[in-house]
Amino acid sequence: MGYRLGIDVGGTFTDLLLFDEETGRMVLAKVPSTPADQSIGVLNGIQKVAALAGIDPVEIDLVLHGTTVATNAVLEEKGALVGLITTRGFEQILHVARSQTPGPLAGWIIMQKPDPLAPLHLTRGVSARMNARGEELVPLDEEEVRRFVRQLRDEGIQALTVSLINSFANPAHERRIRDIAQELCPDLPVTISTDILPEFREYERTLTTVMNSYVRPVMGRYLTGIESKLQRAHLAPTVNIVRSDGGVMSLDGARAKPVNTLLSGPSGGVVAASYIGELTGYKNVLSFDMGGTSTDVAISTGGEPRIVRETRIGYYPVKAAAVDVRSVGAGGGSIAHVPITGALRVGPQSAGAEPGPAAYGAGGMEPTVTDANVVLGHLPPRLLGGEMQLDVEAARRAVARIGDALGLSVEEAAQGIIDIVNENMFGALRLVSVQRGYDPRDFALVAFGGAGPLHANALAQLSGAWPAIIPPTPGVLSALGFLHSDIRSEFSQTVIRTLASIDAGEFARIFAALDERAREWLESEGIPAERQALDYQIDVRYHRQGYEFPVRVHPDQFESEEGMEKFIADFKGIHERNYGFNIDSLIEIVNLRVVGIGLVRKVELQRVASDGTRVEEAMVETHRAYFSGKAMETPIYDRDRLRPGHILRGPAVITQRDATTIILPEHYGQVDEYLNILIYPDGKGR
Amino acid sequence: MAELDKITLDIIENALRNTRHEMDAVLFRSAMSPVIREQHDGFPMICDPQGRMVVGQFGSYIAGFIQQWKRGIAEGDVFLVSDPYSCRGAISHINDWMVLLPIFYDGELVGWGSQFGHTVDVGGPVSGSLPTDATTIFGEGMRIPPVKLFDRGELNADVLDLILTNTRVPVMNYFDLMAIVAACRTADKRVRELCDRFGKQTYLAACEALLDRTYRAMGALIEKNLPTEPVSFDDYVDDDGRGNGPFKMKLTIWREGNVGHFDWTGTDPQAPGPVNFLLNEEMFKMFIGVYLIMVFDPQILFNDGFYPLLKVKIPEGSLLQPRFPAALGCRTHALARLFDVLGGALGRQAPELSTAAGYGTSPYLLYNGYDEKGEFFHLMEITYGGIPGRPLGDGMDAHSWWPLFENIPTEYLESYYPITVLEYGSLPDSGGAGYHRGGNGVHKVYRFEVDGEIAVHDDRERSQPWGILGGLPGQSSSKLLGEPLPSKISQVPVRKGDMLIYRTAGGGGWRDPLDRPVEWVLKDVRNGLVSREKAERDYGVVIVEEDGKLVVDRERTEKERAQKKRERGEVQIFTFGPEPEPIGIVREWRRAQAPTQSGEPAHA
Repeated sequence: MGYRLGIDVGGTFTDLLLFDEETGRMVLAKVPSTPADQSIGVLNGIQKVAALAGIDPVEIDLVLHGTTVATNAVLEEKGALVGLITTRGFEQILHVARSQTPGPLAGWIIMQKPDPLAPLHLTRGVSARMNARGEELVPLDEEEVRRFVRQLRDEGIQALTVSLINSFANPAHERRIRDIAQELCPDLPVTISTDILPEFREYERTLTTVMNSYVRPVMGRYLTGIESKLQRAHLAPTVNIVRSDGGVMSLDGARAKPVNTLLSGPSGGVVAASYIGELTGYKNVLSFDMGGTSTDVAISTGGEPRIVRETRIGYYPVKAAAVDVRSVGAGGGSIAHVPITGALRVGPQSAGAEPGPAAYGAGGMEPTVTDANVVLGHLPPRLLGGEMQLDVEAARRAVARIGDALGLSVEEAAQGIIDIVNENMFGALRLVSVQRGYDPRDFALVAFGGAGPLHANALAQLSGAWPAIIPPTPGVLSALGFLHSDIRSEFSQTVIRTLASIDAGEFARIFAALDERAREWLESEGIPAERQALDYQIDVRYHRQGYEFPVRVHPDQFESEEGMEKFIADFKGIHERNYGFNIDSLIEIVNLRVVGIGLVRKVELQRVASDGTRVEEAMVETHRAYFSGKAMETPIYDRDRLRPGHILRGPAVITQRDATTIILPEHYGQVDEYLNILIYPDGKGR
Repeated sequence: MAELDKITLDIIENALRNTRHEMDAVLFRSAMSPVIREQHDGFPMICDPQGRMVVGQFGSYIAGFIQQWKRGIAEGDVFLVSDPYSCRGAISHINDWMVLLPIFYDGELVGWGSQFGHTVDVGGPVSGSLPTDATTIFGEGMRIPPVKLFDRGELNADVLDLILTNTRVPVMNYFDLMAIVAACRTADKRVRELCDRFGKQTYLAACEALLDRTYRAMGALIEKNLPTEPVSFDDYVDDDGRGNGPFKMKLTIWREGNVGHFDWTGTDPQAPGPVNFLLNEEMFKMFIGVYLIMVFDPQILFNDGFYPLLKVKIPEGSLLQPRFPAALGCRTHALARLFDVLGGALGRQAPELSTAAGYGTSPYLLYNGYDEKGEFFHLMEITYGGIPGRPLGDGMDAHSWWPLFENIPTEYLESYYPITVLEYGSLPDSGGAGYHRGGNGVHKVYRFEVDGEIAVHDDRERSQPWGILGGLPGQSSSKLLGEPLPSKISQVPVRKGDMLIYRTAGGGGWRDPLDRPVEWVLKDVRNGLVSREKAERDYGVVIVEEDGKLVVDRERTEKERAQKKRERGEVQIFTFGPEPEPIGIVREWRRAQAPTQSGEPAHA
């Protein structure tokens, strides 16, 4: 038994969480990120966390690494020069996209559309065509393929994508093109669309595949860098990369399909939030991650994060399994302003890390959410450890400008800014809950990120999601989530047929084929049989509906009447929850999918015993803070001194190194045996 | 008025905006017809108790409905209407099914949720219910006057049966209708939640205040942007599908104080064919408002509050106010042209902030018949075209002018319909040249895989989308089924294997193409969006091949551009294509008018 290490590379800091498999001890370290080459910060972090733990880094045998390398390459437009071979007549597939312009009416006037990720002049349309049933209409012109590959190579492409119309129904042409390209250019990474997303809708499939090619060389270089740096340091842990859906994959997997890492970072927080929920006895949680410029929210039910099949990265709708995270441009650095209509708006503009909020005293002048929190006394002027002193006067001056524009006192303006930003974040929470047919009152809210614990109580109040849970290390929750990630990969097949036209044998046959691929993959990842698991899903909808839902099934469920009925009932239940109605119409199968899972040993957070101290002993001082317009003398507690069983009466401010927690008046916080703080309204709770 | 602080107001505004998006999501995801589901032809709205729109995008028509509905409104009622003549053009052709749902709280009416969507068939002689040769609305299909679809929560099954019996695609329409109702129920739920949270009086006061906020902002915008002296702009709908045209639409605008006047006098009389557009006055005010405000506070929750600030005149019996029972099915061309004319009229004031004209309609392809299994199918596809050149940049190629619409994936079409798409992209050179060029139109080639019948609906075939400040017009649309098809025609028989080349218009250019940076022109040529010939002809950029690579010949380009500028002289505000020749009844009108209006230039 050795050590397991979770690493989360963020924009400013790289967080590391070391877990001792034997004793359950955890050690936390933070080092500055190194954006030019993230692996430098990672290695620094490994040395630091090992030193803090007093171990030899050689003892670390498993590293679970969340990375933003792929995401940054897309957002900063620094990916590879990608060539695209598609079907003749469809050369502009990425350029025309789905033809959409934004609302409202005349929204096209201000639309910004980026150039395709595979430039038009590096796109070729090849003579070859399948129909939607997978029958060949036009054979592949192999000579033409050779000519195109040579041309594109001479143009200097760094990666090649192949995506043909109807390849989901028959990938033969795509595979042949891949073979020809690899024969001509053995060093060129080639990705075909049916390997990445064998599902229908040509634009999304092509885009997702091109995006994979776009980030593949960058990711490949990065992973090779990590490997060689580890080698030079004489370290040889198994390194796994965290996927967007909260699972992990091997380095080879990440090299081949980096498109699955675009939400690598946020997924860790969601996995951790669902774990914290389970520990505290709440299997349904809303995760609420509020940082400096944006807030990510997501949902977990029954202890599992909700996974969606499409996610948006900037302008691009990417079809890859990912946790259902919604992001809003609302964070501690969001700027408040008053436009000509006389409304109070907060965000999406942000003061960012530089100059940051006025209270940071780094030259920022704009009133931000953080400044409003300082004005109200929700953020005390001295953050614990005295590492940072906040400039209260600068915050008041900035917020007063909003007050002047609205005819409000500075405290009223500050409260207004907080209320508006809370409402914006509540809107995002509703998108992942109410809009998906879930009632937030059936959920607990797990808050993390630098600013999450400050706003958690208010968000729980708006949504009715009780309790608000503040984990012991809200600033490094993603890294905790990584420690829990299972190894995952998906294998799917599009089969667009009405349910009535498929018999049990056919389901069994397709699942058996997918099953075999999943098991082969698990074997190749070195997962022993006892830790292998398979999950079966069918994407289903009413005949000709546009969107399908994944329904979890047993592969042999369709052999019995009852199994078939259960499948229909499950689908109707999901449809009812999401849309509020059902209809007597044909049911249609779209995709069959097998998820191969390699289970990791679960991390056990240590329980802490009460040491008989009273909560008053954790109080550092009191100061004046404002709640709903009232000034109140408010105690400030030191989080490190809180022990299980302590009850904190609101109003209260709780400070710790990486976050500050607020408990509002008429609420109380209860410290549990894992040192989570559970916030409830007075009179409520367990 | 109940107690209402500014922050509460902003919070309610936010919550209503979220609700609007939620309504869209519910509709798009649960509807069945590709037109609503994949293409997003549907529009949500939430109104105050008097029927004024508090959030939405097409303006409210509910006030008119409330005025004329005499049979009482109760909690649990859901109304359905599709007859334009029963709601003063609130919806403008019978394919649009509009649902209205009164929202009650504590037994009191606190607002309305509403949504309409385009249903693919509502009966009549032609599949798709958009016959291009109809002469009255009776020849188009089923009209639904305002009826209670649900009466106090109880589904009115008789009405539903009656309606569904009169369409060729009853299951699809049922699905779409229920999806529209579900979207309205979302509005109902959310508004009642807001009343729970803030109190009914505060909620109602907030609606009032939101309306007032728009009123004040618009007053300022009118004073700033409208001229005190009347200015006019006119443009054309090509024809009416029956061999008559072009139909002139003329708008004159001016302001008196902070009140804006918009007068359609000078617009041609109503058409014999179905291109008439029964223009609802309130809806037109909303269009004006959206145009004025987009640039100033795009986050504002736009609403009806400013209606008193606008005075609108639409002559009775004209193309925009036809007399019952004029045919209305193909009104989409006049609807789109209205925006071109409005943009042009406002553009005279501040052309550098204005855009050119776009593909200027909503082109459809319809295809129906019996597939290989003998089952009836009916496909309706909306296509797009060239977005206008605009201050921010080039117009997008083959994109939707209409907000949030999407194209139908080829793999979807081929999975469900006996049709093959052989080519789909934008048509090189079809966008008008400009410093920011107009977007290229759509180029699409279909092959029909079974015998059947098709219809096409398009415009800008005889006229061209104009350019602005030296930008050149976009190219016209065309359809080729072996031989050229007119832009509006239905019930065209097709045989298995027939191919249709379907091209829509390009957008007009913005500002002088001779000033467009040569690198941009080169990039377009390398990307195959503009030809070398057009680069030289319209942009004065000479591109040559050097070592197998395309490069700009700087010296010749400079000469070329200087000479072209000399020859052209000063640029006009607008550049139009040739004016379409009058045909049919319009030729007779023009002859009759000729002696009195001989001196007037084509585009005054």
